[in-house]
Amino acid sequence: MSCVLELKNIGFTYGKGTPFEKRAVDNVSLHIEQGEFIGVIGHTGSGKSTLMQMLNGLIRPTDGQVLLDGRDIWAEPKKIRQVRFKVGMVFQYPEYQLFEETVYKDIAFGAQNCGLQGDALDRAIRDAADFTGLPPALLDKSPFDLSGGEKRRAAIAGIIAMNPEVLVLDEPTAGLDPMGREVLLSQIVRYHKERHNTVLLVTHSMEDIARVADRIMVMNKGRLALFEPTREVFRKGDTLRGYGLQVPQITRIMQDLRRRGLDVPEGVLTVDEAFAALLPLLQKEGKLW
Amino acid sequence: MSFISIQDVCFSYEEIEEGKHVTNAVDGVSLEVEQGEFVAIIGHNGCGKSTLAKHLNALLLPDSGRVLIDGDDTAVEDNTYAIREKVGLVLQNPDNQLVASIVEEDVAFGPENLGVEPSEIRRRVDAALRAVDMYDYRGHAPYRLSGGQKQRVAIAGILAIQPQCIVLDEPTAMLDPSGRQEVISTLLKLNRTQNITVVLITHFMDEAVLADRVVVMDSGKILTQGTPGDVFSQVELLKKHRLDVPQSAELIHKLRGCGLQIDKIPLTQEDCVALLEEAMR
Ligand SMILES: Nc1ncnc2c1ncn2[C@@H]1O[C@H](COP(=O)(O)OP(=O)(O)OP(=O)(O)O)[C@@H](O)[C@H]1O
Ligand SMILES: Nc1ncnc2c1ncn2[C@@H]1O[C@H](COP(=O)(O)OP(=O)(O)OP(=O)(O)O)[C@@H](O)[C@H]1O
Ligand SMILES: [Mg+2]
Ligand SMILES: [Mg+2]
Repeated sequence: MSCVLELKNIGFTYGKGTPFEKRAVDNVSLHIEQGEFIGVIGHTGSGKSTLMQMLNGLIRPTDGQVLLDGRDIWAEPKKIRQVRFKVGMVFQYPEYQLFEETVYKDIAFGAQNCGLQGDALDRAIRDAADFTGLPPALLDKSPFDLSGGEKRRAAIAGIIAMNPEVLVLDEPTAGLDPMGREVLLSQIVRYHKERHNTVLLVTHSMEDIARVADRIMVMNKGRLALFEPTREVFRKGDTLRGYGLQVPQITRIMQDLRRRGLDVPEGVLTVDEAFAALLPLLQKEGKLW
Repeated sequence: MSFISIQDVCFSYEEIEEGKHVTNAVDGVSLEVEQGEFVAIIGHNGCGKSTLAKHLNALLLPDSGRVLIDGDDTAVEDNTYAIREKVGLVLQNPDNQLVASIVEEDVAFGPENLGVEPSEIRRRVDAALRAVDMYDYRGHAPYRLSGGQKQRVAIAGILAIQPQCIVLDEPTAMLDPSGRQEVISTLLKLNRTQNITVVLITHFMDEAVLADRVVVMDSGKILTQGTPGDVFSQVELLKKHRLDVPQSAELIHKLRGCGLQIDKIPLTQEDCVALLEEAMR
């Protein structure tokens, strides 16, 4: 495996030297391997979005370095635009960056800037719309006439169409209906499996991240509080609660059962795992068919 | 007479022209909400929740049908002011709601417009900011806040108006787990202790289970409604309409499919644990 992203002691202060000075990210160092699926969680205001925006050069760290494929992305500030094609960033509330006349043109925007044209561009746009579950009939509509969830899909499709090496999604499922979340989440997983690209997913849904991430970064007050495999992170319920977070409901249910002396496994993360663990126990009791 | 009375309301964003078929965003909805009720509205993206919400404080007016707030028709212009005093709406995107350049001014905006005494405004602003845990940020600029922080300020802005009814359009979409819990417990507290009517639009099923009544919308219409227990036991129906159930219900539903005998689908962690413990003893 090779390291795709390395952060060396990076930090960011908003409004340095003003009365509004705010240390949003403080001294974060880490390695991310090519092809990893990373979850990013943390209380509101913990610095997740600020940290993500430093990964693609949208904001420049006030301290430290961001290395992409071993190279400091700010070594040549004039080339920072290229970093934005390699590290595709779906912003929090991306729907407010829609501005073209039609959804189709909006999705095309980034991919065109990456040099795609003609049939290849058309295919990338339609694939991306399909990927996010956006019905083809909406492509000719104005982005302003879509519902909240539909706008979100259009905005994500615009980044997917660029096929970035590292895909960063900042709360992409916030505001989607349950099936929309489910579909988008499984599409992201599929994208990750098929293209072997690195994915970073910021979310407030512990249930979702528990199902998909290899490793999880936990941010707390601008610092990287934990960066461990998913199961390890969700073993630390008390620590997480101290950071304003939680473990998934299903994990809590199984923990409670254990605490009451029932012989169920530790560290269950999904409903499917819980189901598989309970099935034989209930069968033994003669409670099932 | 109910506090909110929605009577066969249709609304379309399209121009209505002779002979042209228009799609209604809200399509024949009738709904009564009593003073002091806590109602959750769930439904797929684009099913018309926000459109319906905007009818509750006269931001949108029905193409046909009527909306009465405390007996007053929203379509009568003279009623608008009184209606907005009674029904506070927290919009889906906080950026559309935050107007001032300092957090506390933003929260004061509503009560100022209503001509509330300055000392009373001060008191309300502080209380509202504390209720959403943003008091320490009162001197900050809204645009410098994180997504979740903005959302909390927007809620404080409505709390400061002290309306009889609060309509919240996905207020927790950007919040972390404890922030979500705080907002929901604040709403429950306002509802239980001050009898404030709450209409909560949400995509989180574990929030909807806390309401007195759950209304399920689908393509502009009301698909079904009832107590959380009634609504969330219809697991297949909900899934068919792009919705979901809490993990506790999902687990028990799957076990039921394998023959586990149960009367009631558990909606909370506690109920689920109690049920399973009983089954395995
Ligand atoms: N433009 C800005 N100017 C000044 N301070 C800012 C700015 N943007 C964010 N901040 C502050 O920096 C801190 C980190 O914000 P950031 O948006 O990175 O948090 P976050 O973890 O993404 O939160 P959320 O989960 O709410 O999106 C917060 O305290 C926020 O108030
Ligand atoms: N300003 C607008 N102009 C035209 N059509 C609109 C507008 N706003 C919403 N619509 C359409 O009206 C329908 C209902 O939208 P609405 O925003 O009420 O849905 P919603 O249930 O709130 O969805 P979400 O869960 O995504 O927020 C959708 O089909 C949407 O595309
Ligand atoms: Mg953020
Ligand atoms: Mg909406």
